[in-house]
Amino acid sequence: MAMRILVVGLVVAFLTACGSGKKPDEQAFLNSLDSAKNQGPSIDEEVISSILQQIPSPLEISVLLKESGTKYNFSLLNSPDNLSKYNSNFRKALNLGIYGTDLGYTNIYEQNQDGIKYLSAIKTLADGLNIGQFFDIETIGRLATNSKNLDSLLLITTQNFNSINHYLQTQSRANLSVLLLTGGWLEAMQITCQVGAKNLKNKELKEKIGEQKIILEQIVLLLSFYKDDENMASLLKDMESMKAAFDKINITYTYKESTMEIINGVAVIKDNSSTTIAITDEDVISIKDLTNTIRIKIIS
Amino acid sequence: MSEEILKALTQLFAIITKQDGGVTENERQFVINFFQQELDQDTVKEYLELYDSYSGYKKQGTSGEDEKNKLTSVKDSVKTLGICKKINKTLAQKQKAVVLTKLLELVGSDKNFTPQRMEIINTVSTVFNIVQDEYKLIESFVISQQAEGLNFADILIVDANSAKSAELQKHGHAHIEGHLAFMRIRSVDMYFAKYVGDQSNVLNGFIMQPNKVYLFSHGSTIKTQAGDALYYGDLVANFNEELKTAKLSFNALVEEFKFPNGGTGLRDVAITEGPGKLIGIMGASGAGKTTLLNVLAGLERPTKGQILINGFDIHSEKERIQGVIGYVSQDDLLIEELTVYENLFYNAKLCFANFTEEELHKRVIEVLENLGLDQRKDLKVGSVLDKTISGGQRKRLNIALELIREPAVLFLDEPTSGLSSRDSENVIDLLKELSLKGKLIFVVIHQPSSDIYKMFDKMIIMDTGGYHAYYGTPVEAVTYFKKATHQVDSNRGQCETCGNVNPEQIFNIIEAKVVDEYGQPTSKRKVTPPQWHDMYKERFKISRIEDLKEEPPHNLNIPTRIRQTVIFTTRDFLSKISNKQYLLINLLEAPLLAVILAFIIKYKSAPGGKEYIFRFNDNFPAFILMSIIVALFMGLTVSAEEIIRDRKILKRESFLNLSWNSYLFSKLAILFLMSAIQTLSYVLISNLILEVHGMNLAFWFVLFSTACFANVLGLNISSAFNSAVTVYVMIPLLLIPQMILSGLLFSFDKLNNLISTKGKVPIVADLMASRWAYEAMAVHQFTDNDYDAPYHDYEREEAKADFKAGYLADELKKRNRFVVENMDLKNDSVQALVAKELKIIRDQLADEAFREGLDKIKPEETLQPGKYSKALGESLDNYFEEYRKYYQRIYNQNVSLIEKKMSFYEKSGFNVNAEKNRYHNESLSDLVKNVNAKNRWIEYKNEIIQQINPIFQEPRPKNSLDYRTQFFAPEKNFFGLRMSTFLFNGIVIWAMAVFFYITLYFEILKKVVDSFGKVNIPKRK
Repeated sequence: MAMRILVVGLVVAFLTACGSGKKPDEQAFLNSLDSAKNQGPSIDEEVISSILQQIPSPLEISVLLKESGTKYNFSLLNSPDNLSKYNSNFRKALNLGIYGTDLGYTNIYEQNQDGIKYLSAIKTLADGLNIGQFFDIETIGRLATNSKNLDSLLLITTQNFNSINHYLQTQSRANLSVLLLTGGWLEAMQITCQVGAKNLKNKELKEKIGEQKIILEQIVLLLSFYKDDENMASLLKDMESMKAAFDKINITYTYKESTMEIINGVAVIKDNSSTTIAITDEDVISIKDLTNTIRIKIIS
Repeated sequence: MSEEILKALTQLFAIITKQDGGVTENERQFVINFFQQELDQDTVKEYLELYDSYSGYKKQGTSGEDEKNKLTSVKDSVKTLGICKKINKTLAQKQKAVVLTKLLELVGSDKNFTPQRMEIINTVSTVFNIVQDEYKLIESFVISQQAEGLNFADILIVDANSAKSAELQKHGHAHIEGHLAFMRIRSVDMYFAKYVGDQSNVLNGFIMQPNKVYLFSHGSTIKTQAGDALYYGDLVANFNEELKTAKLSFNALVEEFKFPNGGTGLRDVAITEGPGKLIGIMGASGAGKTTLLNVLAGLERPTKGQILINGFDIHSEKERIQGVIGYVSQDDLLIEELTVYENLFYNAKLCFANFTEEELHKRVIEVLENLGLDQRKDLKVGSVLDKTISGGQRKRLNIALELIREPAVLFLDEPTSGLSSRDSENVIDLLKELSLKGKLIFVVIHQPSSDIYKMFDKMIIMDTGGYHAYYGTPVEAVTYFKKATHQVDSNRGQCETCGNVNPEQIFNIIEAKVVDEYGQPTSKRKVTPPQWHDMYKERFKISRIEDLKEEPPHNLNIPTRIRQTVIFTTRDFLSKISNKQYLLINLLEAPLLAVILAFIIKYKSAPGGKEYIFRFNDNFPAFILMSIIVALFMGLTVSAEEIIRDRKILKRESFLNLSWNSYLFSKLAILFLMSAIQTLSYVLISNLILEVHGMNLAFWFVLFSTACFANVLGLNISSAFNSAVTVYVMIPLLLIPQMILSGLLFSFDKLNNLISTKGKVPIVADLMASRWAYEAMAVHQFTDNDYDAPYHDYEREEAKADFKAGYLADELKKRNRFVVENMDLKNDSVQALVAKELKIIRDQLADEAFREGLDKIKPEETLQPGKYSKALGESLDNYFEEYRKYYQRIYNQNVSLIEKKMSFYEKSGFNVNAEKNRYHNESLSDLVKNVNAKNRWIEYKNEIIQQINPIFQEPRPKNSLDYRTQFFAPEKNFFGLRMSTFLFNGIVIWAMAVFFYITLYFEILKKVVDSFGKVNIPKRK
């Protein structure tokens, strides 16, 4: 008798355990596809790659920060724990860029423990994007056990980012490259703006923010090539709003003849041209806020 | 006999004799003789005085008092009634029959049969509840002076005539003057003998007085003056109608029987018997009694010789004598968990397919009553340690199991060992009764009491070394051995006064030792076994009973195989559920293991360590393996003891010729049910704790299949080995390879070169159920969970395209270039390399889907050394470029489809990330994608083997039978058919189970193990 009850109980439990929420069916998705445009960018890949080459690495900003004497602040970065939230390639690529910048930041401040976390997150995202081959996890693991190796580890990683960009372009996947870059740049902006907003007197920092206007323009240009893609279009929109904020900043370039001087018996050409960047505190604050809003959208 | 009864009898004697003419001298002498038999000299006087006073002896002479007489006769009648009632209360029916014959004999002693006397005796017989017909028989038999007139069916006359003198009576022939008359009292099954004639015949060593009635008890022998011996068994057989209808001949000639180890067990044993005999087998320990019994029963095959039942060889013509043989071994052959009744009931059910439940019930109750077990019928049999019924009852139940189907030939191995003398006697009594019904019964018996010994019709005495020392009637055995050793008094087999036989005497004589000069017995025997054997052969000639060429009687009606399965299953099921401990352990084992395992490996797995999320549980791949091990372990342990435990019962049932298949099916039915419940509870509980969603049915199916496989495997070892310990030692031997080659603990690519094949699961691993189960579960979880399933097809296309565009295109291009550059070099080793590269390219292009530009190239024909040209190399180079671009496009398309689908779901209100947390497991995903592979591909035996993403790689079978793939392949090839790994692996596991069922059915493992057992290890000399 007891056994019969047990059996019935098990069967009931079994049946009820099987139910779950319903998903829209496959057909509904296929129908939605028909109405959407299904094309890649019509621009020549080479154009894209030539623009991509011009954009400097976001890591440079970090160097500047450290030199300005600001302290390491982990809370400025995108936590590696957020990794699990990135399921689509779009988000994976953007956040791969973000983590790349974060890794550089931790490196400059020699925060090895955090650095390893970012490395691992980068490896995971890269795997997800089918570009994991650029991270030999065995080498990374071996190097990561010893903090002295971190320098070489970072060197490898930075080189890897370059190789990834190159690879993606050869594989007609430059869109990912664009996203990678956008993410990296955005994260650099975020860190700089957060620090800059607190140190509004730091002129150098403010100017650095203002300088980004040129880069942003290129990013917007790149993104516009992909505006057929839904996700890209929405990112483009955000970036354009940022560009609007940057439009208030004036960058004037004054040309002067270069001169040559002899220093210690060596001839050195001195560039006398100067660039003046007119950026107000308000501009910095509004850019900071905008950056933050866009970034939160991407990372969360 | 108690004083009271004796007094009553004395009164009865007195009352009868004083009627009509009073006591005569003869009558008084008869009474004195009777007293002398029962009492000592002093008391005889006392009772005689009593008798005299009652009967009025010596007071007689004053005749003519008729009226007074009449009055006394009425008084006497009342008195008689009173006495008889008293006797009725204490005496058994048999004893009452004896009393009645005594009374008649008393009257007959002077032939004074007056009506009044006869009236009183008649009254006595009525009060004694003796049927009138029987009374008539007894009266005629006792009183009659001649044998001729006795026309009753229960009378046997033995004389020198060749025909019988009256119609109904039975007749036997012997060299004798006059007549020997035998009477059977049917109701009490007693025999009386009487001799009418002038010769001095000897009954059990005493001369028979003419006309005196003797009780003809079990084992009695009458020797005529002419030297004929008439044995109880033979004479009684004449009365038995059933015997005459029972057609049975048993002829055994065992010239030699050798044990597997080479020792001789039996030499030159010839036994020939007809129906209705109870045959004892005796012998010193180690003389080969049980061996003889086993050989006779057909359990062992004689090395030389044959055993014929009704002319059918019991080995070669088994089917003709199906159900004829019954065997009760020395061990208990009971199902301990069932009640006495159930044991018998299911056994009967297997024997009588034609009976209804009601008839079966009746039959069982009947047998139980016959054996005095009806009061105990609802008690559980219990084990020897946990007794609920007594040893005697167990023994009787064992016998009952065979008796219920009434086999024509029954073999019992020491049915009385360990029983009290009363129980022993009951058992032998029962066997005797059966033999009288026409059964032939062989009993190995040890130290029988005199009564039991005499009950046997024949006795086979074995001597050390398997020599046959004697075969004949039991009582004569004593005289034979006495005579053989020239002992005094050798004619008397039994004690003169008490009729006791001492079977021990026989063994004392057989084994008598030579005494040395100090009077100490030495180890040398006076007469060696071969000498006894020769002596026996010299003295006795066994006349062989003619073989009846007809099928022996049997009422066995075996049910159909399906019914057998049902009966076996019910019986097993009942015995399992009555064993609470077994049931509880087996039902709780799985849930407990599930709780322990799942609880231990559930941790705060979410990034940041705040909560448990299934997606991040790194223990999940190991959990799957553990689940499989649990299923295998439970499956093995639950089945490993099954057949061993039943082995004795199987031995008994082997005589029924039941279907082995049905038996195995019943085992499987129960084991599979148990496994189903166990694995179900395991899956439900562990999945609940670990929050594995939507996988219950799939996981259960795999684990259940695995457990069933283990069940069948367990039954194999259970049938092959002879002890539970060996079987349990076997379990790790079976389980650990399953763990090693499951695919999770050790990568298949990193196994010994002898067994591993790169890019394919090694064949050794293919023999492991664990590997199939693991692959099925892992692949199914990865591809068919609610989160991944909608993207799986796109992901697969994406991964395939990525590999081709990202790696293969470049690699093939490189190889093509190598060929172009080196094709003209004459160096042999370079040419070999060129040929190899061409083969690799050819292989890769063989089933290539992208045909644009390829059709012109015709890789099958042109990519051969000699046919290849530089121009071809160029066009191939161009093709690879297009190939790369094509797959880049495919890749991008699929990526974008996935993106779109995801955003489509998001828009329809689904939280994709929550879904992923719920259904997807990162650790498992890494495993099946092999993300940690150092190289995306490797070159192995002139092939490019993809290392990454096995889960997205379709099989490339070489032919329709090529089932082999990499581990975690999503699909399998099955005779040219594509099917999912889950389904395919399920089929493989069941196919393995079927394979092991076949080996189990033919007991292949057992035969292998037994053949190892036969290897003789030479002994050191």
